[in-house]
Amino acid sequence: MTRERFIEYVRVEQEPLRRFLLALCNGNASLADDLAQDALMRAYVASGSFLGLSKFSTWLLRIAYNCYIDHCRRFVPDKVPVEQALDVPSVEASDASFRYEGLYQALERLPEKEKAAIALFYFEDRSIKEIATILDMPQGTVKYLLSTGRTHLKQLIRL
Amino acid sequence: MKDIDEILRNNRPVVKDNPTFLLETKHRLEAVEGIKAEVDRQRSYGRTALIVALAVGLAAGVLATAVAFLWPVDAKSVEEGLWQSIRLFLESWKQYLIYPVAVLAVALSLVVSTGRDRKSFC
Repeated sequence: MTRERFIEYVRVEQEPLRRFLLALCNGNASLADDLAQDALMRAYVASGSFLGLSKFSTWLLRIAYNCYIDHCRRFVPDKVPVEQALDVPSVEASDASFRYEGLYQALERLPEKEKAAIALFYFEDRSIKEIATILDMPQGTVKYLLSTGRTHLKQLIRL
Repeated sequence: MKDIDEILRNNRPVVKDNPTFLLETKHRLEAVEGIKAEVDRQRSYGRTALIVALAVGLAAGVLATAVAFLWPVDAKSVEEGLWQSIRLFLESWKQYLIYPVAVLAVALSLVVSTGRDRKSFC
């Protein structure tokens, strides 16, 4: 893939990519953009191996998710179990990109895979099949993650 | 669950407009151009080597099968020597020779057709 062609793809896909990472990074736009750049560089270098078996955006989001997981492995935050997190105030720096602050704080406390599944399904309108491809897991696991994610969010937001 | 569904769908994160994002991406793409060229070169070399290896294996397999079936060897009259040993070996296993040949043919067609898909995308 030529650089010009790749930039054209990026021009179209940058907003969903950045939004997905913004959700994963709990509203930290600076970190999300850094990870997006990292993902785009990895995608460009590996673009010769892209077979076109899935959509370009799906492939890109998968790389972005892997970048995020790598980042989490390098910088392990102090995580609180979901059940114990109901009254813990948010400590993460944020630019308050989420308009609904309660939802933002609740998402911050979800396990990474649940958060990713929720973000892809509700914020990016991805199908279960696409989410399974992006997160590299069976479709049944994605459905389970969405179900537990919704339950956890409901507990955390106290609907 | 309808409430949480609505809250999630109505409150997706808002990405702030960042005019420098695309510009920075272009600069970084220029910087990794050399790495990409090297990765592409290595991948192309590896693929070519794989295709050549599979093609040579397939040709050798077809030849061996042809020899085994067209010139059967009588085990009792075999003389000493490497060539005779190979022919005797092929004679003993000739009913199974078709399987590795078929596997090689399928592998070769898969590698070649995968490369064709990639070209059509790019």
